[in-house]
Amino acid sequence: MGALLQVDDVFVSFDGFKAINGLSFVIGTPELRAIIGPNGAGKTTMMDIITGKTRPDSGDVLWGEGGASLLKLSESRIAQIGVGRKFQRPTVFGAQTVRDNLLLSLKSDRSPLGALLFAETAEDADRIEALAEEIGLKDALGRPAGALSHGQKQWLEIGMLLAQDPKLLLVDEPAAGMTPQEREHTTELLKQAATTRAVVVVEHDMEFIRRLGCRVTVLHEGSVLAEGSIDHVTQNQQVIDVYLGR
Amino acid sequence: MSARPASRRPFFADNPSVLIFIAALGVFTALATILSEGFGLGLLSTSLVKTLGKTLCLCMIAIAMDLVWGYCGILSLGHFAFFGLGGYMIGMWLMYARTEDIVAESLANAPIPPTEQEVVDAIGVQIFGVVGSSEFPWIWTFADSLALQLALVVLVPGLLALAFGWLAFRSRVTGVYLSILTQAMTLALSLYLFQNDTGLRGNNGLSGLQNLPGLDDTPQSVVSIWFLWASALALGLTYLFAAWLVSGKFGSVVQAIRDDEARVRFLGYPVEHFKLAVFTLTAVIAGIAGALYYPQAGIINPAEIAPIASIYLAVWVAIGGRGRLYGAVIGAAVVSLLSTWFTGGRAPDIPLGFYTIQWVDWWQVLLGVGFVCVTLYAPKGLGGLVDLLVNREIALPGRPAKRSETVGDARPEPSET
Repeated sequence: MGALLQVDDVFVSFDGFKAINGLSFVIGTPELRAIIGPNGAGKTTMMDIITGKTRPDSGDVLWGEGGASLLKLSESRIAQIGVGRKFQRPTVFGAQTVRDNLLLSLKSDRSPLGALLFAETAEDADRIEALAEEIGLKDALGRPAGALSHGQKQWLEIGMLLAQDPKLLLVDEPAAGMTPQEREHTTELLKQAATTRAVVVVEHDMEFIRRLGCRVTVLHEGSVLAEGSIDHVTQNQQVIDVYLGR
Repeated sequence: MSARPASRRPFFADNPSVLIFIAALGVFTALATILSEGFGLGLLSTSLVKTLGKTLCLCMIAIAMDLVWGYCGILSLGHFAFFGLGGYMIGMWLMYARTEDIVAESLANAPIPPTEQEVVDAIGVQIFGVVGSSEFPWIWTFADSLALQLALVVLVPGLLALAFGWLAFRSRVTGVYLSILTQAMTLALSLYLFQNDTGLRGNNGLSGLQNLPGLDDTPQSVVSIWFLWASALALGLTYLFAAWLVSGKFGSVVQAIRDDEARVRFLGYPVEHFKLAVFTLTAVIAGIAGALYYPQAGIINPAEIAPIASIYLAVWVAIGGRGRLYGAVIGAAVVSLLSTWFTGGRAPDIPLGFYTIQWVDWWQVLLGVGFVCVTLYAPKGLGGLVDLLVNREIALPGRPAKRSETVGDARPEPSET
């Protein structure tokens, strides 16, 4: 298991508020990792930094074997080299069909000219079919994505991320607002995805994390409080004090 | 049922509006030709033919506006600047070549044949006398070449849009701020052209553009039909091109940018490049439309690219229904023709006893009320009426219409693994 992503002593402050305060951690590949923490612990800011939306004041974010810095790249460039992000609220393109949503995400030339000259191959069509099967939306391919239920939108978004075939998948609260059955399906999807790539799940729900059965990182006030198995961190006194005990 | 089949179908099967539109445009052009003074029965006056030809050009820039606003979500309130620039570029050649003809004619009987410099000077006096000058400004360097001025019709609006768009999009200026910037751009350009020093005859603008050089013997009734044909051809090609553009993956990305720009960025698409491409492309379409419009109008001056013109353009597209190409065309045609009718003094006044509604003044109020009503009660615009009709057609043969496809009836079973 080699290091894929290395967040190294990162600091970010907004108007004097230290959102990220010396944050360091390493994600390997393949790996499934859960990140938990109370509100304001810096979970979302951490993802903003990795995906290029927010620039840190100091520190570095290194990527891959070569350890190239992500900090100088644009959001779209970071996405192109293999960082996929799923937002808390499902964001699919409602006016377009499920199929078009998946096609949009499929690996391809991302330049305007590339999009203009794009012609769908049989391989693309097969890949879309396979993805739709995997996320349980095979019968809904022709439907506008806006007409899907909340859970279906979440899956479509996960499907879109898988279509991007990222090396690192950042997932923000995937189980929020889902029925128990939908949660189970989502767990399977994430576990499956983590066999070939790194998946980082940010989640509040302890039960959901326990089901993922993976290494857990606890954030607090912008830095790592504890790291280890779910049983290890839930027995940590500091973690209990700031998070679980409340 | 009405769901689209999984595989991509042929272009025209997916875009039935293209064939219908081109057929309708063909019928319209043929009818206008048959009824015209120049080629047919003489039931349509030449000025009306010109109005129709100009309307086709306005439909063309409306398609450009729909692409940039309705599809890409950039509310540009400056596209008439590009339209006007296209007009100025072709106008310079028309004016130069025509004046050259006149000067050559008047000097033909001179005892000593004039030198080349004398001819150029005489042209200069003819064109710039009105602003108290006779020197050719540098802007007119290529005015004697039709080919070069035609190239400038594309290049000048294109490069201005490219430079403006690059600066604006790179700084992530969006929404209302971008709209204000585009207004500032068109206002600045208009003020710049108003100055005599600019070299485009200030507030006089360029005139006599309806006279094609070398064709003095051809009556306007014939020339007007030529331009109608050219405008119809350009509009048809623009529609076809725009439909192709929005139906492919490029269109998919562009509409995704309209709906959620940040999300598209995280899919790895360089959003700014796409916006720049659409902005520049539509500026070029606007420039070509302008180059066809102003020879039919006969005159262009800086007032044409005042900020209000571009706002009207947005109103046309909103009333017609943005996000659908035929909506833009319908909106531009209906509103601009109505505007011509109401402001042309031919609409009957309405006497209320204590006050008489004169449409020349009240047309704008009517337009404003119409705009508000469409925005509030029919956000899909006039183009939405077409959808209503089409959906009814589909519903007729005993099948439920598209609408019946509702949320959540195909919820998949969670997979057991």
